Amino acid sequence: MVDYRRDIPLAITFIIGVIAVLDYYTTFESISNTFTVIKNWGVVLQAFALGLGAINLLRVHGRRISEKRDGWYFSVWLLAMMFIFIIVGLMTGKYEAGATYSWLYNAIYLPLGATMYSSLAFYMAYGSYKVLRARNFEAGLLFITAVLVIIGNTPIFPAMFPSLFSLREWIFGPIVGGAYRGIRIGVGMGAVVLGIRTLVGLETGYLGRR
Amino acid sequence: MVSTDPQIWIAAFLTIAATSYAFRDNIVFKFAENTYIGVAAGHLVIMGIKNIRDYGWAHLAQGEFIYAVVFLLGILLYARYHGEYYWLYRYPIAFLVGNGIGISIRAAIHSDFTVQIAATATPLIASDAMGTINNLIMFVGVITALSHFIFTYEGIHQGALGWSPKIGRWMILLALGASFGNTVMTRFGMYQGRVIFLLREWLQIIK
Amino acid sequence: MTLVLISMIIPALNPLGLPLMVGSMSKAWYNTIDEAPEGSVILFDIGFGSGGYPSLGPGTIAAFHQMFENGHKIIMMATALEGSMMYPLIMASVKPEQNYDAVYGEDWMFFGYIAGGQTAMAGILGDIRALTSTDFEGNDVDTLPIMDGVNSADDFDIVAYVTTSGDTSEGWVYQAYSQYNRPVLGGMLSMMTTSMKPYYDTGQILGLMDGIKGAADLEFLTGHPGDAIISSDILSFSQTLVLIFIALGNIAYWMQKKGGS
Repeated sequence: MVDYRRDIPLAITFIIGVIAVLDYYTTFESISNTFTVIKNWGVVLQAFALGLGAINLLRVHGRRISEKRDGWYFSVWLLAMMFIFIIVGLMTGKYEAGATYSWLYNAIYLPLGATMYSSLAFYMAYGSYKVLRARNFEAGLLFITAVLVIIGNTPIFPAMFPSLFSLREWIFGPIVGGAYRGIRIGVGMGAVVLGIRTLVGLETGYLGRR
Repeated sequence: MVSTDPQIWIAAFLTIAATSYAFRDNIVFKFAENTYIGVAAGHLVIMGIKNIRDYGWAHLAQGEFIYAVVFLLGILLYARYHGEYYWLYRYPIAFLVGNGIGISIRAAIHSDFTVQIAATATPLIASDAMGTINNLIMFVGVITALSHFIFTYEGIHQGALGWSPKIGRWMILLALGASFGNTVMTRFGMYQGRVIFLLREWLQIIK
Repeated sequence: MTLVLISMIIPALNPLGLPLMVGSMSKAWYNTIDEAPEGSVILFDIGFGSGGYPSLGPGTIAAFHQMFENGHKIIMMATALEGSMMYPLIMASVKPEQNYDAVYGEDWMFFGYIAGGQTAMAGILGDIRALTSTDFEGNDVDTLPIMDGVNSADDFDIVAYVTTSGDTSEGWVYQAYSQYNRPVLGGMLSMMTTSMKPYYDTGQILGLMDGIKGAADLEFLTGHPGDAIISSDILSFSQTLVLIFIALGNIAYWMQKKGGS
């Protein structure tokens, strides 16, 4: 008996995945044409998926507002900002290309986005004091290359001693190249195995609750 | 002297508000954080609607009525919020997962596996001594780093063979140290942009 | 934290003007564009947003300066959600119409943000007109001279991207190099360079612009100094401060250990 709630989605995953793989390894026009349609559908579906985040925020923060939990006024502000951007974007029909939307983006989103990611710099400085210590041989290995690369990346030191930059370049050559190639092969193998397991239905986590 | 552009003032205030967390969690940072989440979600929705229009609706309008299936699948994505019919969202998810996996693993076998192995299986002796040493280090790095991740055969981590994963661990630690060094530069490289903005565009004390 | 801020503000106010040492990977990026025949068609992905703009924006601007100077045709797209917001900021700095007599639609065009990550890449490289018939501003692509004879991967001479996302970075190698054997140039944050190095070493990526350092290198090589070169002085002070912190931390640790034993 086919379970239309699980077996059909698993079959869809398998069929779509196999068509994608066949498109790469064969030159049949029918496969290529079918996969072109699948690819283009994928773009539209991903676009639909972008709204899921907003819906989730509405649910979570809507509940927080209705239950008047701690900081509920921040939730009001959050949803207000979300709707302001949506309304302004849709108002002129120009979406993100509209002048008002661009103005709002450059005033609000750009500085916040740039600062949120970059304020980790302060924690890097603090972490360097607290964490980057040569406690033993292995920690010392990490310590030595970290320090040499930081020195090589700091323009004032190579300006005084150019060989420090050459040393940094050398570290990125055989040492980083060798170790990360091994990691890359391992990661690639793992990704392929996980992908095949998902395609044949051995990994079903993406289907969610039973 | 100081900028009179309200856009610059808003941007400067939000930059300082977001930075304030580095000193202490505070209400100004919470305000900035919630603003960021809200505008990010709003932007997501706008880009989603625009893409649906340009890459979905445009095809329907041109007479490709098969695209109605995509619209149906897209709407079914939101069924996950329904108590009884939540399982309908599995159909579009299955499509996305199958598509995503198929697109990435087919090339990963080539780029992450075949090409990398072929590049390692090359002559170690170079035209100069330094080149030969570099090739040797890289070869040893690849083999030992790979052996470090073998967990299905316990014997490789014991006895004489155990040296290989140990050396691999050391090579990986050396490489991770280099990665940390670059991460420091990344973070400082990002924040310097905000410092330059505050000094140049807002306070106008540098050119 | 205050010390970190001070270490960034002082060099911004009083630049040192230190010489720059150009990395080999950025030089390889520069050489690839420089050696490409005039009129080469380049597919360029703006794969970063506000988070990456401070370190990757200057490098992208320098890259575009070089491409326009060399008379290449640039077909731009964005796989990042904010990429289409980065486009006007970047073009406002490059000013192609003013500086290079470039014309939109003839010398460059922009598709805008395309959802889907690797799906979008596969779509653009597979069959552009099956994916879309319009550009970012709604113009029919068939009315744009730059799109004459350009419909899929074989029509692109180089695929270049600048991104903060590891998935995007790998994705272009998988889709452009692995599937279609296109020359690929990659720009990314410095902390991603180590994981992308295997692709560079094996020739799957021909040049790497690694973060703010790579951006400064490109600004120097192209002769268009900008924010990345200014940041070199800031990095000198701030990273020296980090080295001092590391030294102090280790001295404190070893003194504590010695005192304890």
